[in-house]
Amino acid sequence: MEWWEELLRAILGAFFGTIGFAMLVHVPRRALPVCGLIAILSYLVYFGALKIGLSDPTSIFLGSLIGSLAGHQSARKMKIIGTVFLVSAIVPVVPGLGLYRMMAYLGQNRISDGANMGIRAMITIGMIALGLGAGAMISRIIRSRFPSKNP
Amino acid sequence: MNHIPERVPESPCMEALQLAGKIIMENGGETYRAEETVTRMGDGFGLQDVESFAVPSGLFISFRGKDGNPVTSVKRVHRLHRNLSRVDEANRISRCVETGELTVEQAVEKLREIESMSGAFRGWWSLPAAFLCACGFAALFGANWLSIAVAGLVAALVQALETGIARFRNFGLTASVLGGLFTALLPNLLVLVLPALQTELVVAGAIMPLVPGLAMTNAVQDSMRGDMLSGLSHGVQAILTAFLIAGGALLAVAIKRVMMGGGL
Repeated sequence: MEWWEELLRAILGAFFGTIGFAMLVHVPRRALPVCGLIAILSYLVYFGALKIGLSDPTSIFLGSLIGSLAGHQSARKMKIIGTVFLVSAIVPVVPGLGLYRMMAYLGQNRISDGANMGIRAMITIGMIALGLGAGAMISRIIRSRFPSKNP
Repeated sequence: MNHIPERVPESPCMEALQLAGKIIMENGGETYRAEETVTRMGDGFGLQDVESFAVPSGLFISFRGKDGNPVTSVKRVHRLHRNLSRVDEANRISRCVETGELTVEQAVEKLREIESMSGAFRGWWSLPAAFLCACGFAALFGANWLSIAVAGLVAALVQALETGIARFRNFGLTASVLGGLFTALLPNLLVLVLPALQTELVVAGAIMPLVPGLAMTNAVQDSMRGDMLSGLSHGVQAILTAFLIAGGALLAVAIKRVMMGGGL
């Protein structure tokens, strides 16, 4: 695949895929475009980190960290609950493919391949949680340093 | 002699607090948010000693009544929906109460409206939403045009199935297994007629609408606030859902093997 096709897929896929997911959890309508943009941001950070040679868990961590920071800031700006944007930030990096591969291998009795995939998926989930947590912590520091003028 | 209690004057306040907390917890809000909202609204109403304690399956509210005795309520909560619009609206109303823009009666009325509102995307909107979600992620994973379209159709079909069985109570876990089963089974069978189909990518895309993203977010958010009980509960929900979906997919792979003449 050419690099521009990969990039185009990443941007369009993350945007529309996440908007679809956001509609399934009934986010407020005016938040939808922002949800899509945050998804693009967190996926591109993950994608870029992979491209410059960082490991998969580190890239996932960076992606969800940046997504989480952007989510907290948008929630503050738009006065909408943060969950809306945080869900959008993590959905593009959730290991759906990994979990399915694990089950497909286990279904074919390839236990060690399945276990390998399963552990990778678990590490990914852990890294997402870590990124979200670190993002929440940093956002709290930002909020206490720069309190908003009209709370 | 039967004692007939007179109407407690604080009860509209309690009703508003209960409604707000219940709306947030039933529709997929975090537990700490329910606690904060109740306390904030109670303070806004000018009540004394407002305390709230929430776990994912229940909400306890207490404040000091005008006669000095504590007024307490216990509310059993069921996680029913995933509807962040309602959570957002309830949160907004609690802030209006805090600044004194709404009286108790107005707040109760508005909260009742929220409880019955259908959210930003009602009814069959979930089908195109699932279609969009699956198509987008199939494209993201690098599938070809045919696979993208099939992923969308499979996801929409599974969503229709879930909307159909959502009428029965306690369907949550069953829906995950069935969702995983059909999401994995349909592409695995379709590939027999359409050899160009990339089964793995189709399934990965079509499974995205079922992924427990909200529960994962809530687990982290609650844990970060130090509410380990709720964090753990949401985390277990997320992991269990993921495993049930995957279990459904495993079943689908096994079914295909039997149909193709292989052993279990």
